[in-house]
Amino acid sequence: MRLISNPAYPVYPVTNFMPDTIVALATPTGRSGIGVIRLSGSDSLRITGKFFGDADFVPDPQNAHLKRLHDPTTGEVIDEAIITYFKAPHSFTGEDVIEISCHGSPVLLRQVIDICLANDARMADAGEFSLRALANGRIDLAEAEAIRDLIDAQTVSSVRQAIRQLRGEFSKQLQPLKDDLLNVIVVLESALEFVEDDLPEIQAENVKSRLKAIAAETEKLAATFKAGRLIREGLRVALVGRPNVGKSSLFNALLGSDRAIVTEIAGTTRDQIHERFTIDDIPISLIDTAGLRETTDTVESIGVERSKATMADVDVVIVMLDASEELTKEDNEILGSVEGISHIIVGNKIDKLTPEEAVGFESKIKSQRPRTVLVSAKTGKGLDDLKDSIVRPFATEDTARSGFLVSDARHHDLLVRAAAGIEQSLDQMNQKMSEEIVLIGLQNALRSLGEITGETTTGDMLTRIFSTFCIGK
Amino acid sequence: MFDESFDVIVIGAGHAGCEAASASARLGTETALVTINLDLIGQMSCNPAVGGIAKGHVVREIDALGGIMGRVIDRTGIQFRLLNRSRGPAVQSPRAQADRSLYRTEMRSVLEATPNLHLRQGTVINLIVDNNRVIGVEMQDSRNFGAKSVVIATGTFLNGTIHTGRKTFSAGRAGEPASIELAENLKQHGFPVGRLKTGTPPRLDGRTIDWDAFEAQPPDEKPVPFSFATEKIEQPQIECHIGYTSERLHQTIRDNLHQSPLYSGKITGIGPRYCPSIEDKVVKFADKDRHQLFLEPEGHNTNEVYLNGFSTSLPSTLQLELLRMIDGFENVKIIRPGYAIEYDFVDPREMRPTMESTRMDGLFLSGQINGTTGYEEAACQGLLAGINAAFSVQKRKPFILQRDEAYIGVLADDLIRHGVDEPYRLFTSRAEARLTLRHDNADERLSPKGREAGLVGDTDWERFNKKRDRIANLRNALDFTRFKRSSVEYAGISQILGADLGDSITLSQLAMRQGVQADLIHRLLPEACSDVRVTELETALADSLYSGYIEKQKAATERVNHHDTLKVPETFQFNAISGLSNEMVERLERARPRNFGQVRTIAGLTPAAISTVLVHLTAHIPAGTGQN
Repeated sequence: MRLISNPAYPVYPVTNFMPDTIVALATPTGRSGIGVIRLSGSDSLRITGKFFGDADFVPDPQNAHLKRLHDPTTGEVIDEAIITYFKAPHSFTGEDVIEISCHGSPVLLRQVIDICLANDARMADAGEFSLRALANGRIDLAEAEAIRDLIDAQTVSSVRQAIRQLRGEFSKQLQPLKDDLLNVIVVLESALEFVEDDLPEIQAENVKSRLKAIAAETEKLAATFKAGRLIREGLRVALVGRPNVGKSSLFNALLGSDRAIVTEIAGTTRDQIHERFTIDDIPISLIDTAGLRETTDTVESIGVERSKATMADVDVVIVMLDASEELTKEDNEILGSVEGISHIIVGNKIDKLTPEEAVGFESKIKSQRPRTVLVSAKTGKGLDDLKDSIVRPFATEDTARSGFLVSDARHHDLLVRAAAGIEQSLDQMNQKMSEEIVLIGLQNALRSLGEITGETTTGDMLTRIFSTFCIGK
Repeated sequence: MFDESFDVIVIGAGHAGCEAASASARLGTETALVTINLDLIGQMSCNPAVGGIAKGHVVREIDALGGIMGRVIDRTGIQFRLLNRSRGPAVQSPRAQADRSLYRTEMRSVLEATPNLHLRQGTVINLIVDNNRVIGVEMQDSRNFGAKSVVIATGTFLNGTIHTGRKTFSAGRAGEPASIELAENLKQHGFPVGRLKTGTPPRLDGRTIDWDAFEAQPPDEKPVPFSFATEKIEQPQIECHIGYTSERLHQTIRDNLHQSPLYSGKITGIGPRYCPSIEDKVVKFADKDRHQLFLEPEGHNTNEVYLNGFSTSLPSTLQLELLRMIDGFENVKIIRPGYAIEYDFVDPREMRPTMESTRMDGLFLSGQINGTTGYEEAACQGLLAGINAAFSVQKRKPFILQRDEAYIGVLADDLIRHGVDEPYRLFTSRAEARLTLRHDNADERLSPKGREAGLVGDTDWERFNKKRDRIANLRNALDFTRFKRSSVEYAGISQILGADLGDSITLSQLAMRQGVQADLIHRLLPEACSDVRVTELETALADSLYSGYIEKQKAATERVNHHDTLKVPETFQFNAISGLSNEMVERLERARPRNFGQVRTIAGLTPAAISTVLVHLTAHIPAGTGQN
């Protein structure tokens, strides 16, 4: 597989186009009601036909067909599925596309894909459907990037964000900015090129305030990247504490399901467990670590080593203490190990405490560690407070905002460059520099915006000039 | 078979033809310049002026390469002005009103004094072609001339049709016959031919104008010449005048649009948007209550006045009626009415950067036939074509200019890459390297090339080298001449600027300060630089003014141009890319891009189409060269 190696562009795998048919699961892995398997390529129909022994399978495009799927080698019925055919070029990729919606059992889905592979389909690379769509001109670069985000999207909010970008909302947000910028460029360029024409004099203050507005808007859009990235990439949160303070219980309480093994025997959680959930639409990757303690058990000591490494690599560490017991030496060691790392102290098991004892515990810890939350993993008390303290330092106004968020680092970079170009030109205008110099920053800014939405050529600019001003002796 | 044989034949003696013939002859090839009327060599068919923003740059480039236009206008210019004086040096450009008749006479005598150059009057009706190579031309008067290379520079004459009101007649220019057979002949040879339109305003009798009603526009006190060889402008300098149209005039035009061949649908050729007729101005900019007019005298010894800004193809009677609505024109008389002219052009995308056609060997095209407009645009193509026609006879390597070394390179590249939708004119914004391509450094950029080609003579070359040495010394002096606080000069400068200058200041640093003029620096130059002229100092200062920005501009363009060098294989089939619309495929095939950089700048391609082509081009990189 070859890659386009331009640091300015996301890396797309470039495989040989068109000849082979690719297959992949189009719905997220894991147990769910329905799983969709997608095939794209000229062999899609033939391969699908194998499931019901129909070599000339040609369903009506765009209509759903209920079909019984057979294993072609055994003839056994494996599922009932809905088949939808999107005929080239009227499909997402521009090729023949088949979508098979079956029941969501992972085993069943795996079996269906295996049958496709056995019949000369190839497992799609990450993003390959989008790449084919891009190659066939069905989508543009910005849309392709949005789809890549959609594939990675983990939460409702990031899906919404990705869909918005897909619908061209980013271009729609940028277009007026780009237009305004072009209009200013047109005024300055015209003044240079058509000195003998009876053009209105440049209103420097007006031009400057227009540029300031464009720069401010561009910066505002760029600033949404913090929230955009948060919603796209989420936060990594590690859970540490000595054995049996209730880490796994809290873990499960936050997740709302029985994911980790909960026993009363200290040191049960030998492996790190990753799980995902969301707080205010922000995806949280929660890592439960093996109990932090010196141990002679070799299996467990590997887990402990890994916990220490994990702590250095997350956005925030939750240190769990048992509020119903006195702090142990181990607790104090753990508290010492998170010095300098962003962390929250969680006092668990407050259900075992009287309200007075709880207040006493809190005031004792809070005096040293202001970010302390009391919870009961068992009853769920204090969980909302905890969730809030996890995301509060990261959230911005933009996170909750319903508008558009920039979530791609390349787009963010280009917006920052555009704003910088305009600021540079403003500076030069203030120093009363000549237009040909002022225009450099503006043209660079226009080029940066153009990298997102499409280039503005000299021809486009001249067209704007001739429709704005009456040029010509 | 031939009545006479030459190495190179140039058809047409306008601005392209004159440069082509002069260059070719001076390079040592026997050259014939064939024209319909020898008395109209170097005729300015439209406005009597040379230069202007970007165009003036080109004239200086022509001069630096050893062309003739700059010298001729310097000897015949009657009002010189350096445009954009208040702006930076990169966008300043000289412009001059010419004495139309003097310009012709001067051009003819320059050509007649050129060895190896032979003037022949007559109309070419056919190219004589052997095995797809042009070997001569057939004349209307039955003479046949042989040649190894032929340059066609026929301007608006190919199938020219003049429109005034509802009257239409065949003509190459007012009063001269069109070239109909040659146009037909080119079509027969399969050249892709299109139709363009341009127009010209009425010429007035200066004795019937009330001059006091107009605002005078004086010439520059110190005229800046075009040619690097010109020491002083000798022609007496005159004033032009500025006036305005009125709402009443606009209304009359609106009421009579049915009489305009432009609006009645008679004219189908596309006219230039930056040179609209007065009808167009009134219709397209309806909210403008007046349009500017320039009264440009045609010469010292004539009463004819060119009314710039009033290009029109309305009926002559109506032209007069409209003019008399203008203050100061109450009694005006028209000497020659304005008209529109439609003519054939050959799609320039078939051309090589040498101006040679890819369709027929030995055939070069230059000037308006390639879809351009403007004397300067024509002349520089003529120069390129003339040099390369001679080089091709002499079996020398092609002479090509790049986009980043000359406006001439920008023009040639634009024509070949994009073709034309309207008559093509140069603008400084067409040049990516605008800050580098200054009028004042044209010699530094191009004279060594002109010398190498053989067009820059010994005297000019010696002058150029001396100037280059002076500027090198000057740069040294600017960096190393330092005034300490204790010096007399320091006190003086500090007083003039009303500012403290630190413990000491160099001339370079001083020059970069706000409000410091070149004159001041010039006075402060050390003895060793006493022979440096102010213009040379300005050149050196312009270099340092722009140096930082040029870097910035380059860096930003290179970021975008990351993939630009990605080659489009010769065998690459755009129509094989599924998903590209027919329109996109057509645009790509027409442009025949050689690399991705060219793909990126093709007009009208959607970002999706560009991304698609990029993906496919990358997929075409031979295995092993990419990452695995």
